[in-house]
Amino acid sequence: MVQEEKAMEAINDALRALRKRHLLEEGAHAPAISALSKPLISQGSEWKEKTEKLETELQQCYKAQSRLSEQLVIEVAESRTSKAILQEKELLINDLQKELTQRREDCTRLQEELEEKTKTVDVLIAENLEIRSQLEEMTSRVQKAETENKMLIDRWMLQKMQDAERLNEANDLYEEMLAKLKANGLETLARQQVDGIVRRNEDGTDHFVESTIPSTCANRIHAHEGGCGSIVFEYNSGTLFTGGQDRAVKMWDTNSGTLIKSLYGSLGNILDMAVTHDNKSVIAATSSNNLFVWDVSSGRVRHTLTGHTDKVCAVDVSKFSSRHVVSAAYDRTIKLWDLHKGYCTNTVLFTSNCNAICLSIDGLTVFSGHMDGNLRLWDIQTGKLLSEVAGHSSAVTSVSLSRNGNRILTSGRDNVHNVFDTRTLEICGTLRASGNRLASNWSRSCISPDDDYVAAGSADGSVHVWSLSKGNIVSILKEQTSPILCCSWSGIGKPLASADKNGYVCTWT
Amino acid sequence: MAKEAVKYVWEGAIPLQIHLHKSDVASHPAPPPALVLAPRIGYLPLLIPLIKPYFKDSLPPGEDSIWFDYKGFPLKWYIPTGVLFDLLCAEPERPWNLTIHFRGYPCNILIPCEGEDSVKWNFVNSLKEAQYIINGNCKNVMNMSQSDQEDLWTSVMNGDLDAYTRLSPKLKMGTVEDEFSRKTSLSSPQSQQVVPETEVAGQVKTARIPVRLYVRSLNKDFENLEDVPEIDTWDDISYLNRPVEFLKEEGKCFTLRDAIKSLLPEFMGDRAQTSGEERSIDDTEEADGSREMGEIKLVRIQGIEMKLEIPFSWVVNNLMNPEFYLHISVLVKAPQR
Repeated sequence: MVQEEKAMEAINDALRALRKRHLLEEGAHAPAISALSKPLISQGSEWKEKTEKLETELQQCYKAQSRLSEQLVIEVAESRTSKAILQEKELLINDLQKELTQRREDCTRLQEELEEKTKTVDVLIAENLEIRSQLEEMTSRVQKAETENKMLIDRWMLQKMQDAERLNEANDLYEEMLAKLKANGLETLARQQVDGIVRRNEDGTDHFVESTIPSTCANRIHAHEGGCGSIVFEYNSGTLFTGGQDRAVKMWDTNSGTLIKSLYGSLGNILDMAVTHDNKSVIAATSSNNLFVWDVSSGRVRHTLTGHTDKVCAVDVSKFSSRHVVSAAYDRTIKLWDLHKGYCTNTVLFTSNCNAICLSIDGLTVFSGHMDGNLRLWDIQTGKLLSEVAGHSSAVTSVSLSRNGNRILTSGRDNVHNVFDTRTLEICGTLRASGNRLASNWSRSCISPDDDYVAAGSADGSVHVWSLSKGNIVSILKEQTSPILCCSWSGIGKPLASADKNGYVCTWT
Repeated sequence: MAKEAVKYVWEGAIPLQIHLHKSDVASHPAPPPALVLAPRIGYLPLLIPLIKPYFKDSLPPGEDSIWFDYKGFPLKWYIPTGVLFDLLCAEPERPWNLTIHFRGYPCNILIPCEGEDSVKWNFVNSLKEAQYIINGNCKNVMNMSQSDQEDLWTSVMNGDLDAYTRLSPKLKMGTVEDEFSRKTSLSSPQSQQVVPETEVAGQVKTARIPVRLYVRSLNKDFENLEDVPEIDTWDDISYLNRPVEFLKEEGKCFTLRDAIKSLLPEFMGDRAQTSGEERSIDDTEEADGSREMGEIKLVRIQGIEMKLEIPFSWVVNNLMNPEFYLHISVLVKAPQR
């Protein structure tokens, strides 16, 4: 128990000590410290609030300042840029002012010029008016002149007609006189006959063929539709080639009057034909501006000769070579063709159209009959005009060479048939008949192989046959009704063939 | 009344006069010292939020690393403020003059402190340690919910005893049966009735009490506490973290003396020898015997010296710190060899 009491005492001591410590430490100091700290804290809080407020104010101030400074910077930059712009503008203004003054000067200058120009224009207008009045005067004068001219032409035409009448009268007189001359020209006839005999003995002996005077119609063939424009016999043969409006070339046996074959391929009407001396080729001149060369045996077109620019109206081929061909066309040209080469080797241009063409025996000279009525001779090599003869008062329609080549027969729209000596170009005979009127510009007449007879078709469908030696009409063959376009005499003496506008071909023996 | 001692312990506070160290002064004139009451069971870093406003205008710019010293002696922050005071001021100095430093943390002497979190961590760690000593495990602390743990810490920080008494039973610390407390509560200190119940328990009980013992040894003797020289280095203070085997024998009371004896046997042989006052109370025959042995000059718990006959159970239950540790500061005269 003593121990316990001791313990209790110790505990109480400890408690006391604790109380004492409490009084000394926290008990003594706490109130003072709290008293000290409280105002400090309150003050601190007050100050804190104040400082916070001030700080926020300061921050706001700072913000405002920064905003202002930013604005200032922006403004300064703006002002700088605007200043630069201003300077630029000022420069621009100066430039523009300068330009303006320049422009003004220009303007005044231009105005002055304008005034000057207007003045000149006024002057010019006045001049123009004057000139116009002059022009009117002139035109009136021209009109006057024209009327005068017309009157003169009329007068002239009248004169011409009178002239023509007078010329016809003269011609009639001339014909009459010629007939008289013939009637009593026995001497000349005899001489002519003698001449013919001599010639027979001289050079024509080998080929001489007695030609009969045709009198009867052997065959009448309807050869072509729409007319038969051209007929030609083979050399020394009775075979006849006909060509017509139906663009075909037909080959006939004249003894029987039957068709042997037809040659097709032409693109135009056949206007003229020629046969080579070896009878191998037929050449046709056509309205399609071409020439067609057929191989007779095969019946095929061997060549198409192109180069003319208008319809080809006449063609002839060399008598001893089948190489050279001459053709004449409405384009006023005469062309020489080489059949071996197949193209044109020479071209002759002449002012008057050539209606008929013929090659000499030697093949060096071309005889051509023209619209102006002249017969012209050309050198085939050089294309130069050798000679010309005025044989007809109107267009020449046919030129045909005699078999021996010494005579040449020309027919014209004046209805006269002239026979020339090819060497001297003198007229040996003039044939005409009152009923004989040529039907077209290309009416072909012909000479018989013995050179004694001339046959020519007429517009009334008759064929007149003259004797050269006697100078008179020996036969008038009347079978066809439409105008005869073409006559051809066979090289073997008979028959004579005539073709008409209806396409009929008659053979006469 | 039962909790009177505990209340004093919790309310206990030391008045501090804190000076800003000269090297940290960045204003003219130097700021006046701050006066603060520091709770005994608290820690120095917890005062920083209070002190800092006083000096914030005078501080140099930059990062702060705060530490305290007493007369040039750096103070360990993880020792409770009251213990530091008891240990370093043999003769209590009121107010206690401390110097605060905001720069130049002495890393070689002190453990780095990162503010309140470090202190809390230290507290919880000590709590776990104490529980391990008492219960042999620390799962109750571990199992404590985060919010409870947080509340417990706040109660300690704010010196809120009611909150603490409400929360601490959750730790289920097997505390020592303390018949004396009950006795004092039942009767006035004067009435000394024998309560037979104490003997009823009868059998010998052992309990382990977590104790932190700070022993400051002096080489030379001194007559008065005011003559105790200033301390130079922490080496002069030996720190014992040793549990006390609490023996409860039939008819015998385990006193503070027994506890000290078990902790410092070299200073206490058969003869009990403590403070000067104790000596006068005790038999004087031990006076010459103490020459060859060391001498315990002072035993101080929670700022008070007490009779060694005081029952240790009472001491433990009333004077322990909130982390269940009993901090004992002892001043000894080193034995002369």
